[in-house]
Amino acid sequence: MGKVIVITSGKGGVGKTTSTANLGTALAMISKKVVIIDADVGLRNLDVVMGLESRVVYTSMDVIEKRCELEKALVKDRRVEDLFLLAASQRNRKDDIKPEQMLDICERLKEIYDFVLVDSPAGIEQGFHNAAAGAEEAIIITTPDVSAIRDADRIIGLLQNQDIEPINLILNRLSPTLVKKGNMISKNDVLDILNIDLLGIVPEDPGVIASTNRGVPLVHNDGSPGADAYMRIARRMIGQRVPIPEMRDDNFFSNILKWFSRNK
Amino acid sequence: MENSIVKLRGYKDGLHLIITPKVDLVEVETAINKLLEGMNQPLSGTSIHIDLTTSPLTSDDMKELETYLTENYDLVVSGVNILDENDESPILAAPATHSIAPNLQADDQPDFGQAKIVRQTIRSGQTTSCLTGSVLIYGDVNPGGEVVASGDIIVLGALRGNAHAGAHGKLSSVIIAMELVPLQLQIGTYVNRPPLGQKSRGYPEIARVGAEDVIIVEEFIKFN
Repeated sequence: MGKVIVITSGKGGVGKTTSTANLGTALAMISKKVVIIDADVGLRNLDVVMGLESRVVYTSMDVIEKRCELEKALVKDRRVEDLFLLAASQRNRKDDIKPEQMLDICERLKEIYDFVLVDSPAGIEQGFHNAAAGAEEAIIITTPDVSAIRDADRIIGLLQNQDIEPINLILNRLSPTLVKKGNMISKNDVLDILNIDLLGIVPEDPGVIASTNRGVPLVHNDGSPGADAYMRIARRMIGQRVPIPEMRDDNFFSNILKWFSRNK
Repeated sequence: MENSIVKLRGYKDGLHLIITPKVDLVEVETAINKLLEGMNQPLSGTSIHIDLTTSPLTSDDMKELETYLTENYDLVVSGVNILDENDESPILAAPATHSIAPNLQADDQPDFGQAKIVRQTIRSGQTTSCLTGSVLIYGDVNPGGEVVASGDIIVLGALRGNAHAGAHGKLSSVIIAMELVPLQLQIGTYVNRPPLGQKSRGYPEIARVGAEDVIIVEEFIKFN
């Protein structure tokens, strides 16, 4: 029996889809069976980021309206074994899906797969409630800026009301240089306010944009700081004890840390 | 038994609800509830006139009272009289922004003694309120979160959001937090906010209404 994890943030543009794509790929690379679900109905993104856009034939809407079997709607990844995508319909709207229908899909998928990752749309409306409906756990993505943190806090409150536990945090786009200069909210300040467990820190990485545009998740690009961070997070998700490296603007030190984490 | 806070009298122009002593809205509402529930026939749909004698209700309170009467008892308030019986009546129906402290005799008011204990962090968009007494929070109040109490507010954590103590006008109410870095504080009708960029000072602090009718914040050492 697998786990259903919703990946959400409240605010848009903080990296939910990028994180879902990368964590899904990373988990599949360490031999887990993974489905990633795009819950952003009406605005599908996950298939584009995964480079699977041209292979999408059926969407979750077709499954709900019984135009095809659930198994048939899953799109197999081009590169990694045991990674599948359930795409969102672009013709429908977020309120065309009901939470029970989403729950049903998640329940069926977790029978077969180790991880079911649900990419939530931004906002706190119907779309978010649908995405969270089938989830037992949540991963909150936030960037170190006040508005993203405020929205993350709001979302945590909503998830707690639905008894979703544990709720873990990924701090995305942390810039070591800016933190060092004191121009960015630090990791500790974010944790102080949100008061949930930190699953990992993803540093600002220019490679993200290029990988998104090429439709190849960053984790395939071994050695980039973002890819390493997502690989470490995936290992933590399967219960391995991988330390969270302190963010430093020191190449020598960070190289040593990288070397250590790669030899684990 | 004579109800001393509110009385119902029939006059030529209809029923009059007479509110007498110096009490706050909750007590008035409780008394009305007692009075009307004890009656044999419901007054539903009846139009009623409110007579204030010396009761220091603010205009906001009056509005709330009107909706209370309409919603709960289906009464129509046809008018409000301010009775000037003894010529030395205090400020009546004062606007909420006006200082009504001298007439409120706030400290004489019972606290109702029903505290609410919250064992979690109040996050952005969440509200916790206790209109029968004080609130005690084992956790933080994050920016965008709100706590309202008719008595005191005590936060065993960081208060980073909004807090409104003495919501019914009890100006002796205080707000205590282990870290007091709020967006806004309110005690009774007084509002204050810390200067922009205020950081936590690392010790517990207490906010109260000071002598100059402003909310002051000082280190919390002991309660007196």
